[in-house]
Amino acid sequence: MFQEFWVLYKRELKKTFRSIGVIIIMVIQPVMWIAFFGSSLTNVPSQFLTTFFHTNNYIAFLLPGELSVSMLFIGLFSSMSMIQDKRFGYLKKVLITRAPKWSIFLAKVGGATTRGLIQVPVMLLAGLAFGVSLPLSPLGWVEWIVGLILLGVGFSSLYLIVTMRSADWQLPNVTANLINLPLMFSSTALFPLSFYPTWMRYLSDVNPITYSAELGRGVILSGDPTIYYLGYLFIFAALMLGLGFVVARKYLTAE
Amino acid sequence: MYSIEVEGLLKKYGDFVALNSISFKVGEGEIFGMLGPNGAGKTTTIKVLTGLIPPTAGKASVAGFDVVKQTQEVKARIGWISSDVILDDDLNAWENLEIQGKLQGIKDWRERSEGVLKYFDLLQFAKRPVGKYSTGMRKKLEIASALIHSPSVIFVDEPTIGLDVNTRSMLWDLIKSIRKEMGVTVFLTTHYMEEADSLCDRIAVITQGKIAAIGSPAELKSKVGGDVIEMETVDGFTPEQLKGVKGVLDVKVTDGKVRVKVESADKTVVELMRVLNFSSIKSLKIEKPTLDTVFMELTGKKLDDSEVDYRKFYMTIRRARSG
Repeated sequence: MFQEFWVLYKRELKKTFRSIGVIIIMVIQPVMWIAFFGSSLTNVPSQFLTTFFHTNNYIAFLLPGELSVSMLFIGLFSSMSMIQDKRFGYLKKVLITRAPKWSIFLAKVGGATTRGLIQVPVMLLAGLAFGVSLPLSPLGWVEWIVGLILLGVGFSSLYLIVTMRSADWQLPNVTANLINLPLMFSSTALFPLSFYPTWMRYLSDVNPITYSAELGRGVILSGDPTIYYLGYLFIFAALMLGLGFVVARKYLTAE
Repeated sequence: MYSIEVEGLLKKYGDFVALNSISFKVGEGEIFGMLGPNGAGKTTTIKVLTGLIPPTAGKASVAGFDVVKQTQEVKARIGWISSDVILDDDLNAWENLEIQGKLQGIKDWRERSEGVLKYFDLLQFAKRPVGKYSTGMRKKLEIASALIHSPSVIFVDEPTIGLDVNTRSMLWDLIKSIRKEMGVTVFLTTHYMEEADSLCDRIAVITQGKIAAIGSPAELKSKVGGDVIEMETVDGFTPEQLKGVKGVLDVKVTDGKVRVKVESADKTVVELMRVLNFSSIKSLKIEKPTLDTVFMELTGKKLDDSEVDYRKFYMTIRRARSG
């Protein structure tokens, strides 16, 4: 059973990593976020920054938020690659083998999440280049990376659930347009909670991106991440994954 | 024991009846063809038999297992070859076969891959990305990947659609030798008469979701009722004169041409010569029935223009637009 998942997951990776152009663009894109969006608060008085952002470098605040947002956007890849497989008949070919439907679903989740993780080292290096100091706390880093993986698993599952029955190229994109921006802006990925009106704080408190961003900030800014954030992300990922298994079993179609 | 048994298979899409209670049996090691125009129900039959979609009603078993209740057992014993080649172009032959082998749950995929690659003369190209293969090579690899787990039945969907003559005859030979050497049962769909004629042991003619006739190519041809001798003559004679000749079934005169339907042209043509004045015959042509004539006889339509598959048509348009 595991063999089927593993070979499909390997296929996802091979297809991603053999396209050098895609990798370059994937690597440049988040760096641009840091460079342009991160620099937009450069001339803000540093007292303002330390009061609201708990750092005098906005990029240090943004970095964990932006990495979390990246894990949201990779959900788009998982469902686009599923639809591509449907379009080219590949899924039909897989469904006529003994491979269980959950292994097909899980391979897409794994592929997209791995794809998202490539951005982590690049972003950290970019952060260093923009003067962010990265503290040495191995356990904290492990927790944060695991948090990002869980976030990626959760969102790529969510995307696949939405597009499971479809073979329409447009669906992943309109879904992305619908959910990505609200999810990003209603989290603390870009700005601190203290900026927000009460109703948005409620949204932010249930938004998994907030938990991943804060987990990262715990590592970078205070060196002391809150472990229960990881628990929240785990529940989010487990729920989405479980739901995805059920939906894949019932609704994954070849075309 | 039969490789495929289908009884009263019904498949509806909403109100549209794709398969109208069809029944047939395919013996072990047989090459069985389903012949019909686009939209007749050929692909739907394959989808049901490979466990991709459940039938609305009826029973079907493949390799001795029920396609609805024992889908996994069926899938372990079948291979599927699509009409368009479905391979990962940026991966090489090994990698493509590894995926297919592991998806079929086999452990010795490496040895088996080497075996099929050798058989299909692809071993020396095995490390080249499949995207750089010729159409014939891609087709071969597609077949190889369907055989890697030694299935007992393979489903071949429109094997030679859009291929040139050489590749087509290469594939026909290949399918025949696979059956002979590996003993697999082949279920293929086609809308080419000559393909069904030269490849299949038995053929089911399907149109609008119904099977119009089943039999060997020769049997189906004999259903049409013999050969036709067509003559241009100068002298007058009465059709009754010819009807009296032994072996003649029917005589028609149109546009100065006499069409004589006979049981066997080879025997009767000599008799006809005797009855008619030899010098009065300007030209003579013998027509043997083809599956084309069979199809026309059975369905009252020519295969080419008998049906338009609107669902497929709109799907193509949609793909073209969004692609």
